[in-house]
Amino acid sequence: MPANTPAILPLSSFDLAVASALVLVAGVISVAMRVGLHRQLAVAALRTLVQLVLLGYCLEFLFQLDAAPLVLAWLALMITAAGRAAMKRPSRTFRGAFLRGWAALAISAVLTTFTVTAAIIGIDPWYDPQYLIPLAGMVLGNSLTGISLTVDSLLETLDARRGEIECLLSLGATRWEAARGAIRTALRRGMTPILNAMAVVGLVSIPGMMTGQILAGAPPMEAVRYQIMVMFMLAGATAVGSIIVAWLVYRRLFNDRHQLRAELIERRND
Amino acid sequence: MNGSLVLTDVAVSAAERPLLSEVGLSLAPGALLALIGPSGLGKTSLLRAVAALDDWRGHITLDDRTAAQWGYPAWRRAVVLVQQRGVMLAGTVRDNLAAGFGLSVAGPPPPEDTTDTLLADLGLDRRVADQQADRISVGQAQRVSLARALLVQPRVLLLDEPTAGLDPEATRQVEAVIRRACAGGMCALIVSHDPDQPTRLGAATVDLARFRAPGSAAAAPPPEGDSATTEPRHAR
Repeated sequence: MPANTPAILPLSSFDLAVASALVLVAGVISVAMRVGLHRQLAVAALRTLVQLVLLGYCLEFLFQLDAAPLVLAWLALMITAAGRAAMKRPSRTFRGAFLRGWAALAISAVLTTFTVTAAIIGIDPWYDPQYLIPLAGMVLGNSLTGISLTVDSLLETLDARRGEIECLLSLGATRWEAARGAIRTALRRGMTPILNAMAVVGLVSIPGMMTGQILAGAPPMEAVRYQIMVMFMLAGATAVGSIIVAWLVYRRLFNDRHQLRAELIERRND
Repeated sequence: MNGSLVLTDVAVSAAERPLLSEVGLSLAPGALLALIGPSGLGKTSLLRAVAALDDWRGHITLDDRTAAQWGYPAWRRAVVLVQQRGVMLAGTVRDNLAAGFGLSVAGPPPPEDTTDTLLADLGLDRRVADQQADRISVGQAQRVSLARALLVQPRVLLLDEPTAGLDPEATRQVEAVIRRACAGGMCALIVSHDPDQPTRLGAATVDLARFRAPGSAAAAPPPEGDSATTEPRHAR
């Protein structure tokens, strides 16, 4: 959005204190109803505050310095944080899982974000953090969900249905023929959230980015154009990330002798 | 030897625990060999190694060629393992029987009456073919998995407890089908806990206990069904 948009009404610290009353209401209800969530709620509210304020300072700093190496370093940090989150969630893991999740995220995020910023929006300079960072953030958030679900499903199938996969191998299936059913299921699972989001976007909720643009005074149709582009970008990023991670997991768990190495899969205890 | 399955100085392990070593066996076409020995010895692990599903050390050849020389999928097409407890794939029983034919190594599927005849020989009603494979009994699944393997016409059949839990009548039918397949030139390695089965099959027996690896603890858990070797360690 243009920086000189006049429509945005600034929020003061006092305004935020008033907003915190809304969380307080939730806390009071939790105590009164003995739901037992008030402590978690307090921690979550505090985290929201601290994390976002820190983010704000970092972004202001990045925007002011406006230096390519710093922007790229920030991007790498975001990818690493997203990679950790993505690979922590699946109920099974294997040695080297994080690296593969990280690689899938990095490739999908860099590919889609730069396609959008360079080829579609045409930002100048190419690393303009005002565009690059928020777009990469959205891409990573969605890609990480897709990657996480894909890995969870794929490892679950390869572990729980080992007998069936080895049955196919025993009949002369190549590793690809034996694995493709599991991979197909995993990709479907990884793509489900973004497909659902695309199906209901605008019907149920106005997406966060579009809400932000409208609040900031952008004309609705302009916000809509951006949102359409963002949805397509997120679909592309999720698909690319899920496919790459599925491929990397497949190559790790099936060797050149067309054997399933199910013994590499570790179940998490929690 | 041409036409034969030959194991020379083969060693197998499970989860880096040595089980068997210096195994030497040879099966000519039509031969039936029963592998006997106590639980946990490594009988299933040996079958998995021969099927190239797990790694092994030593030499395993068919027609003097190793699995690597055959290409692993082609090897497993020629040396088919029938796992314990009748593993069923998704879909109907008929889908299961056709599972070996949707693959890149596969020829055309067999005609339907071949399938039905085979099912009948195994004591299975042809109506079973249209049932969902996850709805049939364990005993039926065991026989369907044998039929699924026989339909791809392997050179060598590896059978892991093919009649465990079957009633005497079904056992007799399964044994007759195995004997007939071997009379047709297929050879079979069979693991069985039924002490009379080798005799009924007319099979030679090998007690694998004499190949127990130094340092193996045959009585220790996990059971042999959990066989899994780790990093590549077999000679090609």
